[in-house]
Amino acid sequence: MTKTYHAGFMSDKPNWGQALKLWRRDVLVFLTDVACLAGLWMLITYAAISPDRGVLVFLTVPWWLMLLVVAVLAGLWQSFGLSSGMKLLGRRLKATQDASGAAAFARRLFRALLLPFSPLLVLPVLVTARYVPIHDRWSGFETQSATEVVDPKSPWYRRSWAVAIALLALTAFAVSVIFTRVNLVKLFTEFDNTANIRAQIANPNWGVLFEGGQLLLVTLFMAFMATLFGIIVAVPLSFVAARNLTQGLVGRAVYTIVRGILSILRSIQPFIWVIVLIVWVKAGNAPMAGVIALFIHSVADLTKLYAERLESIDPGPVEAIRATGASQSQVIMYGIIPQIINPYMSFTIYRWDINVRMSTIVGMVGGGGIGQRLLQEMRVSDYSDAVVLMMLIMVAVWAMDTLSARLRERIETGSSNPALPSYALKLKTEISNRTFGSRW
Amino acid sequence: MEDLIRIENLVKIYERGEVLALNDVSTTVQKGEFLVLLGLSGSGKSTLLRCINRLIEPTAGTIVFDGKDVTKASSRQLRHLRRRMAMIFQQFNLVKRSSVLTNVLSGRLGYVNPAASAIHKFAKQDIADAMACLERVGIPEQAYKRADELSGGQQQRVGIARALMQQPDLLMADEPVSALDPATAHSIMQYLEQMNQEDDVTVVTSLHFLSLARRYGARILALKDGEIVFEGSPAEIDKVKFKEIYGEDAEEVEVR
Repeated sequence: MTKTYHAGFMSDKPNWGQALKLWRRDVLVFLTDVACLAGLWMLITYAAISPDRGVLVFLTVPWWLMLLVVAVLAGLWQSFGLSSGMKLLGRRLKATQDASGAAAFARRLFRALLLPFSPLLVLPVLVTARYVPIHDRWSGFETQSATEVVDPKSPWYRRSWAVAIALLALTAFAVSVIFTRVNLVKLFTEFDNTANIRAQIANPNWGVLFEGGQLLLVTLFMAFMATLFGIIVAVPLSFVAARNLTQGLVGRAVYTIVRGILSILRSIQPFIWVIVLIVWVKAGNAPMAGVIALFIHSVADLTKLYAERLESIDPGPVEAIRATGASQSQVIMYGIIPQIINPYMSFTIYRWDINVRMSTIVGMVGGGGIGQRLLQEMRVSDYSDAVVLMMLIMVAVWAMDTLSARLRERIETGSSNPALPSYALKLKTEISNRTFGSRW
Repeated sequence: MEDLIRIENLVKIYERGEVLALNDVSTTVQKGEFLVLLGLSGSGKSTLLRCINRLIEPTAGTIVFDGKDVTKASSRQLRHLRRRMAMIFQQFNLVKRSSVLTNVLSGRLGYVNPAASAIHKFAKQDIADAMACLERVGIPEQAYKRADELSGGQQQRVGIARALMQQPDLLMADEPVSALDPATAHSIMQYLEQMNQEDDVTVVTSLHFLSLARRYGARILALKDGEIVFEGSPAEIDKVKFKEIYGEDAEEVEVR
């Protein structure tokens, strides 16, 4: 029987893709260490210079000088110890030639000096389509995958990554204490400043209850609209945002673009959207700005949740439905949707819950509803009105929270026997009976 | 006898792991045959089966099914070819949250109107057929249960009923009994045998146990590392051939 291997299959023939991959593997280790050390350097510089001057100074030397020193340090770290880059990317150093004492030291030093030049090895890769790690070859070492290393116990300087990370964390903590001006003593010495607020909270103005209730309804409807439109857009969008359903060049491109846009949208909080949108739709339409802001965030968030659920579906039934000769739409209808319908409903209710809470915040920055009014009252220091509005919000959030938990629980348990309350629900009822009396 | 499937120089390489799953496999399957694929895990049995209905795209080579080239078929032609090739799976691959009846009906998807099926509407005849299929595999009373409420053996019977719904010319079974106990395994294999003998369905099944292959197979094709190492009748497999297929350390175990 003749062997008909695919071209390039498991061969050591020159191969640009393969060589570049190997080069990238080694360079990434080096760059990770450079990044770690540079970060440490900058934090130490920052900690050394008092932030009270009001200027953020992360470097006292030119940046290229720092990079130069850091590159040399990274070389030393990788040649004499186990660097964080090596640890994170799973590489270990192994001597290919026997040497001890001064000779071994000289070898390691030589490798350390060569290592900063290793990114330049991309040039021979591009010319010859082979990757030769010259820094290793000349100094008598090779790097190997951490999984091949059998000796887990090594001296502390071979485990230096742990020391480095501890140092990094400690520096970061010290810097953040200075930077954020955390001073717990002030919590106690300055308490008297709140006397006015406390006095007003003790005398709530129940007159605003009715008006507040109307505003609360506006807020709740904002959340409802945002969720509803969110579902309509997010459900179809999730199918092109799921990695397992977007095969091929076009599919992968769509996936990357959609996911990219969504993560940008998600990283911008709704209250920032409101500030932009209120300019757009004019201040008179505040609730509409709030709805659109919540809608944008809901779409981004729901699509991600939905898509992740899609990515974890069982591929077996999908394969089986496809094997019957079903079309793509039938595969979705019969193989995919039954697997995702319940989690989708659960996520949607969860998102609705979030939107109710968030719509108050959105209102505060001009998105209308009860939140806007609450902020106005607090601006003019009318806390006896504000406390009533806050109570209304609390009741709404609590109700929504309980309702959402109940509904989701019912969906997730598969509702095979809906009459039987679950253990968690029973427990909750019991606790509230004990706390508030049985009328609850 | 006529050929139903002709496979020529089939090669499959999984690019990601650079694994050569099938290396130049050529064979023919005749109409009405009961062919058993043997081999260790990873020998290429599943890949070979899935190449036939192109659930996996072959890297090179041709597969001709009943005179039509599967490898060159357009997606529409491929769906029409797939209707005639039913498949059952090791893990049954039922839609767990759907009812048993819906699972069986989904075997009919290739034939029905896509718009009607989108709203889960099936013809009365299809539903009657589905019930008949369930009756044939002996579980008509389970029709309205959720698929994951059934035992493993029952789930595989639903898989067979789904295959029957396709009224196929070919039944491919990928380790259909590996997840089942020996007694259930035999009852499932007997359904395959029945389909083969009474409905003239050509059966290609991969199996783990040689004893099952001896009992049910008319012809055996053994794969090792993606290549055919044995092709012939079950009786021809002796101790030497056995070691060739399964490696030096293997011992034959009986499943009764």
